[in-house]
Amino acid sequence: MSALLSVRDLHVHFPAVGEHQTPAAAATRAVDGISFDLRAGETLAIVGETGSGKTTIGRALLGLHPPASVQGSIRLQGEELVGLDETGWRAVRWQRIAMAVQSAGTAFDPVYRIAAQIAEPLRVHLHLSAREADARAMALARRLGLTSRHLRAYPHQLSGGEKQRAMLAMALSCEPEVLIADEPTSGQDVLSRAQLVALLQAICCEQGTSLLLISHDLAAVAQLTERVVVLYAGKLIETGDAAEILASPRHPYTWGLLNAYPTMTTARDLRAIRGSLPDPSNPPMGCRFHPRCTQAVARCRVEEPLLARSTGVASGGERLIACHLGGLQALLEATALRKAFRANGQIGRRPADDGVEAVRDVDLVVWEGEVVAVVGETGSGKTTLGRLLVGQLVPDAGQVRFEAQDLFGLSTAARKRCYRRIQFIAQDPFDAISPRLSVGKVVREPLEVQGIGTDDERQARAREALDAVSLPTDEGFLGRRAHTLSGGQLQRVAIARALVLDPKLLVADEPVSMLDASEQARVINLLKDIQSARGMGLLIISHDLALVRKIADRILVMQQGRIVEAGPAGRVISAPQHAYTRALLGAAPAFDW
Amino acid sequence: MVRRLIGYLLTLWIVLTANFLLPRWLPGDPLSALLDPTSASYVYDAEVRAALAAYYGLDRPLLAQYGHYLSGALTGDLGRSIRLNRPVSGLIGAHLPWTLLLTLTALSLAAVLGLLGGALAGWRRGSSADKVLVTLSVVISNAPVYFVGTLLLIVFGARLRWLPLAGGRTPFATYPSLLDAARDIGRHLVLPALTLTLATMGSQFLLVRNSMVTVLGEDFMLVARAKGLSSGRLKWVHALRNALLPFVAHLAAHAGLVITGAVFIETLFNYPGMGRLIFEAVGARDYPVLQGAFLAVSTVVLGANLLADWVNQRLDPRLRHV
Repeated sequence: MSALLSVRDLHVHFPAVGEHQTPAAAATRAVDGISFDLRAGETLAIVGETGSGKTTIGRALLGLHPPASVQGSIRLQGEELVGLDETGWRAVRWQRIAMAVQSAGTAFDPVYRIAAQIAEPLRVHLHLSAREADARAMALARRLGLTSRHLRAYPHQLSGGEKQRAMLAMALSCEPEVLIADEPTSGQDVLSRAQLVALLQAICCEQGTSLLLISHDLAAVAQLTERVVVLYAGKLIETGDAAEILASPRHPYTWGLLNAYPTMTTARDLRAIRGSLPDPSNPPMGCRFHPRCTQAVARCRVEEPLLARSTGVASGGERLIACHLGGLQALLEATALRKAFRANGQIGRRPADDGVEAVRDVDLVVWEGEVVAVVGETGSGKTTLGRLLVGQLVPDAGQVRFEAQDLFGLSTAARKRCYRRIQFIAQDPFDAISPRLSVGKVVREPLEVQGIGTDDERQARAREALDAVSLPTDEGFLGRRAHTLSGGQLQRVAIARALVLDPKLLVADEPVSMLDASEQARVINLLKDIQSARGMGLLIISHDLALVRKIADRILVMQQGRIVEAGPAGRVISAPQHAYTRALLGAAPAFDW
Repeated sequence: MVRRLIGYLLTLWIVLTANFLLPRWLPGDPLSALLDPTSASYVYDAEVRAALAAYYGLDRPLLAQYGHYLSGALTGDLGRSIRLNRPVSGLIGAHLPWTLLLTLTALSLAAVLGLLGGALAGWRRGSSADKVLVTLSVVISNAPVYFVGTLLLIVFGARLRWLPLAGGRTPFATYPSLLDAARDIGRHLVLPALTLTLATMGSQFLLVRNSMVTVLGEDFMLVARAKGLSSGRLKWVHALRNALLPFVAHLAAHAGLVITGAVFIETLFNYPGMGRLIFEAVGARDYPVLQGAFLAVSTVVLGANLLADWVNQRLDPRLRHV
């Protein structure tokens, strides 16, 4: 299938405003080397945050930028558009490529009626008579749900949603080859959105118009389009089949973007990707996403990743991503993990009853920056699993890989270094922390054990960790004995103690079960905030499904040593597959309304 | 529109009242010179003094004077000129048409030039033509009118002798036909109208230019460009059409300023309009004439604003359906 519209290495750089800077140094690089194809009759989505350059691409396709700022190639049916003069562009605009702009509210000339503005391009380009143009405008507007009252009105008399529909009617009026729809549904209510896009697709299909959908909402457009292009700060970072990207995003940014949007099945509190978009006039060296990426390595800071075929995708669809690491990395990966405990040998017992298999064939993955919850009732083996993962127990069989290294295959020294990066928070802080030690000593201790830093540095890092868990950092508090603290304070101290080594993964076993309800909420939110800010992985082991669903990205349900169900938090909560999950959900406290 | 009209009537009433009160708040009154024993023009006969005061109504209570004044103003009786001893309304009737001729000519000329220049400069904002026009308009609109007027007089009147030096028409001329009259009046009109045009054109130009620049930055202009419209259509049908809205409002507000500008110019060119009437009345402390002239000018400005409101409502649908 040949491409209708073919964009190659498109750059849009705007010169800096102000005269003392050299244009080259401070130019805003809104779009920086983007290539994609739009096939005839296809729907393609360009997705990215505000400021990622998606609207700039739309305008470049219509030649609306100053010619000097656009470089690269835009071919429409093989015909080069970059470099055309205004007369040349005028023949392309609206007749061949039309655009429904994002700001429909201000897209109409306030002094003319809507009908006249929809009919205007028909009269100018197709030289229709006033009556013919009006009739066609009317017919199109009707299909988009507008009436003659709307068409007779002036722009200020219509609502935002009505103007958006009128904008679409205007854009479709000349039956263009390509329709660029920039956030065409942002003014519509949720119910109308899907209908409107479906209608848009139907009209495009009839007219033979290819649709380029520009949106910030990956989840919403992925269901409506065949292919998706994901932009970040003017760069293309992932592209592929829409459904596949939705099911298994490979680039860390795409993954974060999917997590950041609310859906009806999202039970957890939303969080944004940490940090913010870089300054487009001074983008970071290397990969533009690295300051916000949780898995960035030294190479990401210096070398720009190229778009390449992703290795981690099973299906045949073409998936390209720009990531040195080949996409989202598994932080912790356990395969076929087994652990059995032998009962104290009593005479007369049959060998089969000889032990308890606490963990049976468990596979588990924690991706970079992900929050995973393992949920099960007491005795389901979840605490044993946790202790296997942090190296407190040795498995009978199976592998635990941390950052792609087999933990039990490593030398003792190497394993020690790895475990510095995995920290464990125990269920009962009264049990885990010696009551006679001072707060300062408790938090410093891991550094002392590992032999990291001087006394002053240790003290400074302890203060920093206490600050991160919202505890006081003055001498008085550092000198207090652990037994004088409340349960909530002590659990925070335990978290600070885990943070002081700057771990990559936090494993928390029932971190809040000893606390009262309001303290539970505070500590669990604190854990989530710290995880987000530091870009850590977090594995929470809990019996409390109601609580963990607030922060978990994925939930694994464990019963009798096995993982019986696993999936995104929203799906597990809203559509549990396994009977045991349903039982757990039924047992969770709920208020009757 | 009805509410607007009521607003204008209210404004007119305030103007009338201010016109009545202001001279009475000023120290002294029109007759003080005649009634002041230390003044050279003191009237020695006590009976004549009383008759004068009674004639001008100054011996009656303020409210009665106000009532008399209002009914007079509404019936067109604006009193008599002290200096010329003629009805004020007659004087205004003789002078106002000249001023209207001068200001309307200048204003429409300035509006057309300002619109065209502003539209072109705004369309090519930042170009060298734009920069030259902006600088030129700032210089010309800030040059004092008497300087510009004198310069024009010296060059076209005294040196080149193309145009008459003063007056609104040739004195004692008889015109065989209407065309001759028009030609004579037109020749006298050129220099004062040109001076006034130059004085007001700058601000019209700048306003249109800046409105154009603002409109060109609007989203709907980007959409209009994306629609593939010709640059002529973009410029005139969409951009200038929208830039017209602030311009019309400004034009009406500017009318008052133009008439005050005319006072200087009429004096300079000895033009027989309201400006000269006012100038001479100030010199002679001819209060009834001043009051009448003030009232007439205010009414004209109010009328201009009313007209602008009406025109803008035609032009801007957003003002029609509120």
